[in-house]
Amino acid sequence: MANIRAFTMPKWGIEMTEGTVAEWMLKEGDAFVRGDTLCLIETDKITNDVDAEFDSVLRKVVAPMGEALPVGTLLAVFADADADDAAIDAFVGAFKAPNTAVAAGAGKTPAPAPAAPPRIIETNRPISPEALRLAQELDIDLAHVEGTGRNGRITYQDVQQASRPEARPVLLGPLDLDDAPEKHYGSPLARRLAAMHGIDLGTVKGTGARGRIRKADVLALVPQPAAARVGAPFTPGENRPRIAPMDKIRKVVARRLTEAATTIPHIYLRASVKVDDLLAMRKTANLVLGVKASINDYLVRAAAVALARHPDINIQVHGEAIHHFPHADIAIAVATERGLVTPIVRGADQMRIDQIATATSALIAKAQTGKLAYADVDGGTFSISNLGMFGLDAFDAIINPPQGAILAVGAVMRALAEENDGEIRFESRLALTLSCDHRAIDGAAGARFMATLKGLIEAPEGLFE
Amino acid sequence: MAQMMYRDAVLQTLFAEMERDENVVVLGEDIVGGMGTAGGPEAIGGIWSTSVGLFDKFGKDRVIDTPISESAIVGAAAGLALAGKRPVAELMFADFIGVSLDQIWNQIGKFRYMFGGKTTCPAVIRMAYGAGFNAAAQHSQSVYALLTAMPGIKVVTPSTPADVKGLLTQAIRDDDPVIFMEHKALYGTMGEVPDGDYAIPFGHARLCRAGQDVTIVTLGLMVGFCEAVADKLATEGIGCDVIDLRTTSPMDEEAILDSVEITGRLVVVDESPPRCSLASDIAGLVTTKAFASLKAPPALVTTPHTPIPFARELESNYLPSPDKIEAAIRQTLAWR
Repeated sequence: MANIRAFTMPKWGIEMTEGTVAEWMLKEGDAFVRGDTLCLIETDKITNDVDAEFDSVLRKVVAPMGEALPVGTLLAVFADADADDAAIDAFVGAFKAPNTAVAAGAGKTPAPAPAAPPRIIETNRPISPEALRLAQELDIDLAHVEGTGRNGRITYQDVQQASRPEARPVLLGPLDLDDAPEKHYGSPLARRLAAMHGIDLGTVKGTGARGRIRKADVLALVPQPAAARVGAPFTPGENRPRIAPMDKIRKVVARRLTEAATTIPHIYLRASVKVDDLLAMRKTANLVLGVKASINDYLVRAAAVALARHPDINIQVHGEAIHHFPHADIAIAVATERGLVTPIVRGADQMRIDQIATATSALIAKAQTGKLAYADVDGGTFSISNLGMFGLDAFDAIINPPQGAILAVGAVMRALAEENDGEIRFESRLALTLSCDHRAIDGAAGARFMATLKGLIEAPEGLFE
Repeated sequence: MAQMMYRDAVLQTLFAEMERDENVVVLGEDIVGGMGTAGGPEAIGGIWSTSVGLFDKFGKDRVIDTPISESAIVGAAAGLALAGKRPVAELMFADFIGVSLDQIWNQIGKFRYMFGGKTTCPAVIRMAYGAGFNAAAQHSQSVYALLTAMPGIKVVTPSTPADVKGLLTQAIRDDDPVIFMEHKALYGTMGEVPDGDYAIPFGHARLCRAGQDVTIVTLGLMVGFCEAVADKLATEGIGCDVIDLRTTSPMDEEAILDSVEITGRLVVVDESPPRCSLASDIAGLVTTKAFASLKAPPALVTTPHTPIPFARELESNYLPSPDKIEAAIRQTLAWR
């Protein structure tokens, strides 16, 4: 044969389910040799070059650029130059993606698995068919549903009400009422409006039936506020939005954050830590270690040590399983021009400050130039997000799944505080917020972790052990 | 302002209007009240004491005792009205409109229309209605819904002595036939009544309590129940607009809708059975014209769909009560 081979969407990590061809480096008909860059593929986390593993010719491009395609989708066909077009078309037509239900070139995600069949409810109480269907769908216990229909029949409305949380109506309360006999006949609202605006109903001509004074009759007499008369009136121009579709990274960020914020029950544990000693020690330590370690590097180190002591925080949550890790792989949130990325400092609990500083500066440089590899961003057991450089006091972060927790770091603030000797002095404080996935981490466990972290930061000698 | 009873407001208004206009004639069973008795014609003055002294003042040509025949009473009133008089007929019990229904429904309600507007029929038919007296199924009914369903007649249901004066004055002066329904349980209630000439236009509901959380539409005896419940709930910060309809035909649609547009919740309290009723009519009005404002389905507090029981315990359980009204209000507030 003419050595026809399929080029499919690669799978670069366990979490990768789809990718996008950002750009083809070759045209149909171009020959390439092993090592040539074929195309750029974007995933949830990174954009990478795809290099050729053999020599061949790009005969046919199947996948359009810029469309998210599942792993295994046929992207292109490689074949020797002498292969005839009909054979290649036949190959495309016959292609079945391995291990997926996706046909060649089809850009659709596989249909979701059918939902579990609703529980069947057996009842001898009278109930409407739709009400029964809803009760089964929502798994409502009919024993607690009152039937308001004739002879206690349960209606759709009854089941729907039973499925909802108790109402908390906002009450506006009673109003005073003038109960003097009426001399002029207006609707209750007309009377109320007239009283509000100090209008004597006797001066209002009623246009309702039998001369009754209506709301509109009173409103017509309410003086309109005089318009301000300073120069020409301001006329707002048209305020039309510029509509920009989300790019790949923004879409991914939006989807993952929505998923995390809506499916993970977050709890937030806040602490303020004194950082005077850390700031003082950092200058000396950086001289000794010969690096420019940032406050954030020290925080990564402190978090890593604290994680090593509290393995119940150093976790990932996968469905109903909690994965405990022997070492702390700490993701650091980096804002880049193209969006938020979270490269990972691996084994941070085993690294010295200078090693962490070297690793983070390398990762940040890669992030800023868009060169992060999949391995740089895959996994992680904990995250740190620092917005202190923007001068804000404190904030709460959304967990980066499947990790179990994220630490949000604010700016160093100067604050007056009572010291141990009873004097009041300024000290430097840092606000930390730990967001925990409450499915896996209880408040007490998170609080113990925070206490250790606080201790390490306030007495930073422990960071050098 | 004078303090007087509901029944005295009826009597004094009849007296004043008969004095004002010699065309006003009253007729009914035993309204003179003592004809043929040892005490003389005026011994009793009608079983409701709403016509005491009229015979003495205005004489037999204007105060007419009739045979026990509602058909005859209403038929005579119809004829009087066509002949230019302003008759005020009394039916002792509203339950008996059945035998005079042709006169009410097919005659007085339709004259003006069938004669092309060339005549009017200014008849007033007073009737005592309502339950609470252990008077059983044939002497306790609230038939306003049945009459409200008939085009061509106006239906008035005063709840206070002041409204009796204002509405009965308007009824007698009105050129159209008016059914004037007096609740038996209200005859003995006291209230302030404005002095002098006092007529309340029809179709003008009365706001008895003002609040912004629930609209309660009611009439007759139920008004007092609703006011008491509204006062109780006000202490919890729950504000009720209590609307006394005063007239069910014409009905003050504007007052109801304006209120529901603010509160978003409706409770209708009506002491008659629920099917094809005033309560369902008002619920229908609100759901068709104020659907967008509703935060909960309208709650209807009515009697069961049965005849009124005789036994006291059953009757008191049959009627709407303050407890049932309060429960309905809380139910609309608890809607999820």
